[in-house]
Amino acid sequence: MGLFVNVLLNGVTDGTIFAAVALALVLIHRATGVVNFAQGAMGMLTTFVAFSLLTAGVGYWGAFVVALAAGFVLGALVERVLIRPLEGKPPLNPVIVTIGLLVVLEGVAGSIWGNTSRGFPAAFSQSGIRFGHDTVAFSHFDVFILVAVLALMVGLLGLFRWTDLGLRMRAAAFAPVVARLLGVRVGRTFSLGWAMAATVGALAALLAAPLSSFSPYYMDLYLVYGFTAAVLGGLDSPVGALVGGLVTGVSTSFVGGYLGSSLEPLGSLALLLVVLMIRPQGLFATTAARRV
Amino acid sequence: MLSVEGLSVRYGAVEALDGVSFEAAGGAITAVLGANGAGKTTLLRALSGLVRPRAGTADLDGTPLVGRPPEAIARLGVAHVPEGRGVIVELTVDENLRLGTLARLPRGDRRPAIEEVYRLFPPLDGRRHRHASTLSGGERQMLAIGRALVSKPKVLLLDEPSLGLAPAVTAQLMATLVDLSRRRDLCVVLVEQNARSALSVAQWAVVINLGRVVLADQPERLASDDQLRHHYLGF
Amino acid sequence: MAGQPLVRHLVLALAAAAGFYLLTSVLSPYDNFQVGEIAAYAVALAGLSVLTGVNGQISLGHGALMAVGAYSFGLLMTHTQLNLMVELLAAVGLTTVLGIAVGIPSARLAGPYLAGVTLMLALGLPLLADQYSSTFGGDQGLTITPPAAPGSLDPERWLAWIQIAAALVTIVLLANLLRSRFGRAFRAVRDDEVAAELAGIHVGRTKVLAFAVSAACAGLAGALLVLSTGIVNTGEFPLSLSIDLLAGMVLGGAGSLMGVWWGAVALVYLPQWSTSVAGSLSLGNGVSAYLATVVFGLILIVVMLVAPSGLQGLLRWTGGRLLSTLRWVPASVTALEVRQPANQEKDQESQEKDQESQESQESQESQESQESQESQDKQDRTERSEA
Repeated sequence: MGLFVNVLLNGVTDGTIFAAVALALVLIHRATGVVNFAQGAMGMLTTFVAFSLLTAGVGYWGAFVVALAAGFVLGALVERVLIRPLEGKPPLNPVIVTIGLLVVLEGVAGSIWGNTSRGFPAAFSQSGIRFGHDTVAFSHFDVFILVAVLALMVGLLGLFRWTDLGLRMRAAAFAPVVARLLGVRVGRTFSLGWAMAATVGALAALLAAPLSSFSPYYMDLYLVYGFTAAVLGGLDSPVGALVGGLVTGVSTSFVGGYLGSSLEPLGSLALLLVVLMIRPQGLFATTAARRV
Repeated sequence: MLSVEGLSVRYGAVEALDGVSFEAAGGAITAVLGANGAGKTTLLRALSGLVRPRAGTADLDGTPLVGRPPEAIARLGVAHVPEGRGVIVELTVDENLRLGTLARLPRGDRRPAIEEVYRLFPPLDGRRHRHASTLSGGERQMLAIGRALVSKPKVLLLDEPSLGLAPAVTAQLMATLVDLSRRRDLCVVLVEQNARSALSVAQWAVVINLGRVVLADQPERLASDDQLRHHYLGF
Repeated sequence: MAGQPLVRHLVLALAAAAGFYLLTSVLSPYDNFQVGEIAAYAVALAGLSVLTGVNGQISLGHGALMAVGAYSFGLLMTHTQLNLMVELLAAVGLTTVLGIAVGIPSARLAGPYLAGVTLMLALGLPLLADQYSSTFGGDQGLTITPPAAPGSLDPERWLAWIQIAAALVTIVLLANLLRSRFGRAFRAVRDDEVAAELAGIHVGRTKVLAFAVSAACAGLAGALLVLSTGIVNTGEFPLSLSIDLLAGMVLGGAGSLMGVWWGAVALVYLPQWSTSVAGSLSLGNGVSAYLATVVFGLILIVVMLVAPSGLQGLLRWTGGRLLSTLRWVPASVTALEVRQPANQEKDQESQEKDQESQESQESQESQESQESQESQDKQDRTERSEA
């Protein structure tokens, strides 16, 4: 019973981070139709920036804000410099560029900060909360993870649904040509979409850093789990990202808890394959995806 | 208001428009007619900036349009309702209209402008918060035109608005266009394959064939010349 | 008429074989070993090139598929006494089965699903070997003794010949496949899945076939590498290998079977080069290890932005430009230069740019250029009718 609850709670915590990565992927895919395979690495880089600040003595929250801002800038930069020039080309091309970016960023991080794994401090205590006599596998930091990601999601949802900017971004994503005819600066909204997505990715990476061995490659697995979560939820659905993240998190946690942690990625792969076989468009697909 | 001079557009090896020139006055409807493939849609696309001409100019009250991106041209007051309407089905009716107001209207004027469109097209009023995907063809056409009008444009480019509409609805639409163009001093450029209905409301007619202007005259004269009518307009 | 391309391919292959024979007789044993490696990588790249360049799908797991081929072959060599050919084919077969298993779910929707699934494969499979280390030899992996060379022949030369022969056979088979109706189906699916479906092509099956073929090539390549190196362990097949393969393929030119040799050379020599560069700049041990992969990453980015059809495409473009001043050169398209469907808005400038940058592909004959001319006419007609 104890194991079950702890595995479940771990799954929820991990799943929330997967949901954040998935959300970043979904935002970019919805806006520009590209799957950003470099999303994890971009977050990794901004987290390393935070790491340097922390080692230099800057407080956690200062480093936190800087990392998110750096994510925003990085996202806009990548869209403008690497993705925009490929407008009009086949959709494969920008995906290949993001794959190249993935390894380049990992190499850059490795050359600046080295390849060894290290620890990353958490904002709050990571020891389990006590309930009477028992300690649960749920810490203050885990609470922070849940709160931060949910707050971000609610914020984004509000932005898209109620603001003029959100309306412009949705229009640019659904019908870029018509949006241009209505005066929307579609190029700018794409950059903004990438910037926002990268900020979400930066948050996810910051939250994940204390949970894993912090090296330039630590976000690889999170990217993969985030991708599973996004596909589960439907590559175009932000709500789906959250649900998909939780499902992925809990199921991989159970695989890891009962079968062995090295089998977690394969467990996630199996989950992904099952979803693709049974309901490939995901649980919450909004656009009609064509079945083949 | 709108003067076009020597506009030429090339798609690859195909000359879609070749030296097109005409004038479209404010407060009037200018019909652009011709057979399928003649270049009418390309003309509108060139005017709204979706396609860049390789030669020629188009001026709106002296302000050059050619060379600007579509969003800039839209902000100058050119509203293009493309073939197929371009209604954004994932958004609600109200969101579609609101989108139209963002580029040109100050914040305070937006809601009044939207309400005006609801008065103009009552069926839309009843469906404000429904997704545009639930609208019929005629209602979508109203939405598309309403969305264009809500930005208080100077020029309205309409590409085959009667396509897929019942004759009664088309007639009503045309009547509305006449009324609007007069009241708001709006320059309407109406591309239509249904030449008959277009000629009945237009103050000026331009006939395009194979990318060239073959005739520009008053609709009455065009309608009375049987040979011309038959040759270019098919009736 | 149908036999002509096959004859041409065979003639080219025989000429290449003769060339390689001469090459291997003058090179040192170590160089021969590397030539063999190049041939093995060429096999993997050829499959990948068909998958991405001709069928339009991306795989990030070909390194893992090579590992499957390598481990299968290694296990068969260790535990059975079967004939070499049989063992190679069995390794290929196992990898193909895995390819089909993974390819089927990924083919159901249009989109980047195969890329994500194969990425997970690349990250997850090595962990499987770690989990069951007794079978797979754990960190050390497996060691096998390569088959003995007949007579007094250099073992490296002998093995290189086997690898080169396998590469040439594979490329000839693939070239013929691309000429066949399967090749046409691959291209049709790449260009427009909806149109292909309407034309009666079963899109899902086509995508799975393409991936299965590429998986078979990867499996063969992995087994071939084991042949000459004699070892299999998970350290040889990290995620970066999959990305290096992608880069090598893109560098040579996606869809180009001739271009695979450029990529294979890069895969073998770039790591060595980067180690020496890192050494001469005294960048430290850590850097050289991933410097090669960073360069491959840069290759992916730069090639996509500057010359999407790779080196082979550039060569054809320069050659084409020269030839076009003399006579009409049939223009065709590779996966990464395909025009967007006519119903998408494009301004005239970028359309003209696309026209200029169209390059011809390796396996192009007049047959194919006719096909693409037809589709271009169709596009022009559609655009005209929109006017």
